[in-house]
Amino acid sequence: MTLLQGWKGVLSDDRTKENYKQYVTGWEEKIHSLLEFDIDRNAESAAAGPLAGVPFAVKDNIAVKNFNLTCGSKILETLNSPYTATAVERLQAAGARVVGKTNLDEFGMGSSTDNSALAQTNNPWNLNAVAGGSSGGSAAAVAAGLVPFALGSDTGGSVRQPASFCGCLGLKPTYGSVSRFGLVAYASSLEVIGVLAKEVDVMEAVYDIIAGRDEKDQSSVARPEVAPHTEIKKVGVLRQIAELSPAIEAAYQAAIEQVKSLGLEVVEIDIPALDYVVPAYYTIATAEASANLARYTGIRYGHRTADDSSMEQMVAASRNEGFGDEVKLRILLGTYVLRSGFQDQYYIRAQKIRTAIRNGFDEAFQAVDVMLTPVFPTQSFLRGEGELTPFQQKLADKFTAAANLAGIPALTYPTGVAGGLPTAMQLLAPDFAEHRMFELVRRLTDEQGNIAPVGYDEGWRK
Amino acid sequence: MYQSFIGLEIHIHLLTKTKAFCGCTSEFGAPPNTHICPVCLGYPGVLPAANEEAMRMSYMVAKILHCTLSPKCYFDRKNYFYPDMTKNYQISQFHDPVGRDGYFDIEVEGEHKRVRIHDVHLEEDAGKMIHSGKTSLCDYNRAGTSLLEIVTEPDLVTGKDAEAFIREFRRMVRHLGVCDGNMEEGSLRCDANVSINLQGQGLGTKTEVKNLNSARFVRKALEYEIKRQKRVLTKGEKVIQETRLWDGDNNVTAGMRTKEKAHDYRYFPEPDMPPFCPDDAFMAAVDERMVELPLAKKQRYLNDLKLSLDAAEFLVEDSKFCDLFEAALALESSEPKLVANWLCGDVQGQLKRADVSLEESHISAGRLNELVGLVESGKLLRGKAKEVIELIINDDKDPAVIVKEQGFEQVLDESQIDDWVKQAIDGNPQAVEQIQAGNKKTLSFLVGQVMRFSKGKADPKKATEKLEQALGL
Amino acid sequence: MNVNELKTTAQLAMLDIPDPEKLAQAFTEMLENFSKMMEVDVEGLEPTTHALAQGNRLRNDTPRGTDESDALLARAPARKDRFFKIPNVL
Ligand SMILES: [Mg+2]
Ligand SMILES: [Zn+2]
Repeated sequence: MTLLQGWKGVLSDDRTKENYKQYVTGWEEKIHSLLEFDIDRNAESAAAGPLAGVPFAVKDNIAVKNFNLTCGSKILETLNSPYTATAVERLQAAGARVVGKTNLDEFGMGSSTDNSALAQTNNPWNLNAVAGGSSGGSAAAVAAGLVPFALGSDTGGSVRQPASFCGCLGLKPTYGSVSRFGLVAYASSLEVIGVLAKEVDVMEAVYDIIAGRDEKDQSSVARPEVAPHTEIKKVGVLRQIAELSPAIEAAYQAAIEQVKSLGLEVVEIDIPALDYVVPAYYTIATAEASANLARYTGIRYGHRTADDSSMEQMVAASRNEGFGDEVKLRILLGTYVLRSGFQDQYYIRAQKIRTAIRNGFDEAFQAVDVMLTPVFPTQSFLRGEGELTPFQQKLADKFTAAANLAGIPALTYPTGVAGGLPTAMQLLAPDFAEHRMFELVRRLTDEQGNIAPVGYDEGWRK
Repeated sequence: MYQSFIGLEIHIHLLTKTKAFCGCTSEFGAPPNTHICPVCLGYPGVLPAANEEAMRMSYMVAKILHCTLSPKCYFDRKNYFYPDMTKNYQISQFHDPVGRDGYFDIEVEGEHKRVRIHDVHLEEDAGKMIHSGKTSLCDYNRAGTSLLEIVTEPDLVTGKDAEAFIREFRRMVRHLGVCDGNMEEGSLRCDANVSINLQGQGLGTKTEVKNLNSARFVRKALEYEIKRQKRVLTKGEKVIQETRLWDGDNNVTAGMRTKEKAHDYRYFPEPDMPPFCPDDAFMAAVDERMVELPLAKKQRYLNDLKLSLDAAEFLVEDSKFCDLFEAALALESSEPKLVANWLCGDVQGQLKRADVSLEESHISAGRLNELVGLVESGKLLRGKAKEVIELIINDDKDPAVIVKEQGFEQVLDESQIDDWVKQAIDGNPQAVEQIQAGNKKTLSFLVGQVMRFSKGKADPKKATEKLEQALGL
Repeated sequence: MNVNELKTTAQLAMLDIPDPEKLAQAFTEMLENFSKMMEVDVEGLEPTTHALAQGNRLRNDTPRGTDESDALLARAPARKDRFFKIPNVL
């Protein structure tokens, strides 16, 4: 199969462009995954290259010059980005073209994309269900076939969880292996730009293009010259996993059986520190967020209140009007855990637990080549009844956020459909072993067939 | 009896081409907000990238201050809101700065004092604000430029100590080439902490004095503040811990009216930049740029080279003069005192007159030696040396060439001088009469005549001798 | 969680919380979750400050060529000439 066949000519002539627009518009009336959509903006950037002429979408907390950079927030609703993120530049250099910016939970803070101040994104499988978050727009757009791939950002699961909710692949690369330059910071030491795609080959190609050290991001790291071996013999599973929904529990057991059927050995792993993933993750994430979001004051760019009565009043009111409740809550929590007198018991302690978690994974990967875990305890949830409270949603980040604390790569893949919504599982691997996960996913999904919502593709690409 | 304790916080702008964390130029004096980019303006999504030269200069200063150099330093975020700071946190160093626990020696009225250095840390500067009427205006050209902060222990006692510290420190950073030391323009800034207490009781409640933009103001403000604190304590009142501004017009410090506000910087490690561990190559580059401390240099000039105090002090004030001086001595085994005197005397004078800096001029160590040699060997008249220097400054020519072109060679031909002497005597009978009547002062008139005939090329000493001889004096 | 602590925190964060009581509940819920960390024995563990630091990273001291200042000034919510304008801070 040639990579991205059917996508490369989409933007090349008026007829296919019109078809494409119609297809996207049709879906968008239902799912609202894109905050901006324009197939002709930045058209000049489409160069020759492996992705020549391929459209893609970018989460709206990643900078693309000439597009907005709203972060799903009122405070940046009118900001047009004056520059482009390194990861996007690399894709543009490979010939791909940004056609839209995707919706997200405000500043990446949430697990449903319902925390966006600008639009409500629906799950393409069920319009009453959430797309997941925070990269819900990217997940929905890919799942509905609006783009072959999209960029997201993953701070505690923000690529993987919505990918699992919408039935596409989600990759959180090794921390630092993809430049964060141009990714609007939420929790700098945890997050990385990730990839959402339908096909593992596409995901791999995109990852290979965007990965690599960037002079503009001094926390970025070079991939080792020799990639860690991809041969997989042993797969680790966590000894104690509780509180999974019945559908996810069933999918998990089925996935373990499938691993065994591939002739791989399943090894039980115990990392006690994982019990503290959620508090450690939220302590560090909110602490960093409190500083990262201090720059939004209405002085240099972004929303500014009409209240000019004093400097303090102007700043406080601009922030008050510009930020949503969840963002305010996290800024306050982060400010609190850094305060003198509290820092040791919260922030420093969380950083030490982070070390314990990292040590736990290092030890585990002595025994196994990859690990298999659930992504989220539930499938996508319906709005209204049965909805998880914001607090329950945070507790449910335990499987995904572990990888962010440890810095290791993780990949989620769809395993099937239950009750009309996709199920998914997660693979975890040592630093820079992304290709080991691509390889295993290829084998695990080989005979799976297309997991897609009704209305996907419809043969519009001729 | 009261004892006083003064500690200084000095900020210097490093002479890097670009800002600390972005590629904007760090030049001063540009129109407002021309040297800005998404990074130093704190745009969403941007990241800081630490400047190698700033790091190198920071280690240079920490090293020359005898600090323990950090084998692994990193940046911290210092959180507080202020409109001149674009991210509302300052990238600074708190937990593991470039250097700690050093010292710096100063000389106060001939007495040597050692001042302990608490730490040296690299950080970014804020922008500038102009306040007018109901609005304030922000200019971020300076935002993000590299600033090195040096914090002393409270080892200084008097305003004079502090003034001497600033002057010596300023000389040091200029010699090191890391800062231009300009206090008026704010390239070198100083805040002072001062407290007093009864003898033997340790530190008192301190106040912090700001707005000190000259070494003299540092002294005056501290002298005022110590007196003020004494008055307060003598009255049985308590010193309030506060920030006070020096008011140079009225020669007083005044408390800043600050709003009641919670303060907590919430320092935490800057996640965007990894720790920096200086390696051998980095430290070798630092060592290569180390210089002799000006105070040590001055001692060496006085003790080993036997320069006068004036000459030694003049030279160490400007590292460029020191460099030229030492280069000249290295080229030729000239008499140090002689070379120094020419540098401090006519060379400096002519540069000043021409309003040209030493670096801009065409004076070199070789030319300086050549000039001194020409005068010493009698080939160039002392009186013409100034003109030669003036011509070197502007024309980029060697002294010997200038002397030749301008015809400045001294006339050594005795018979030629004899002729001019005769001409002077014959042409001025009245003067001769006066001299012979005992008015010796008139002799200088005749000497002047000889010099005029010679167009200045005769040796005036020789002319005097010959005139005296001819007149039988 | 005492509401005054929340107000102090809000002041440090330059947030104006209209209804601190309402927020206090969500805040307390999270802090209680954070307190779980006290169970962990962290003796001998160094804090992880940088996830995957791979040696020194420094940038050459070379000025960049482009001037974006006008485009950036154009995005200012309020300006006067080439200045960003704000209410007087004195
Ligand atoms: Mg400072
Ligand atoms: Zn800049």
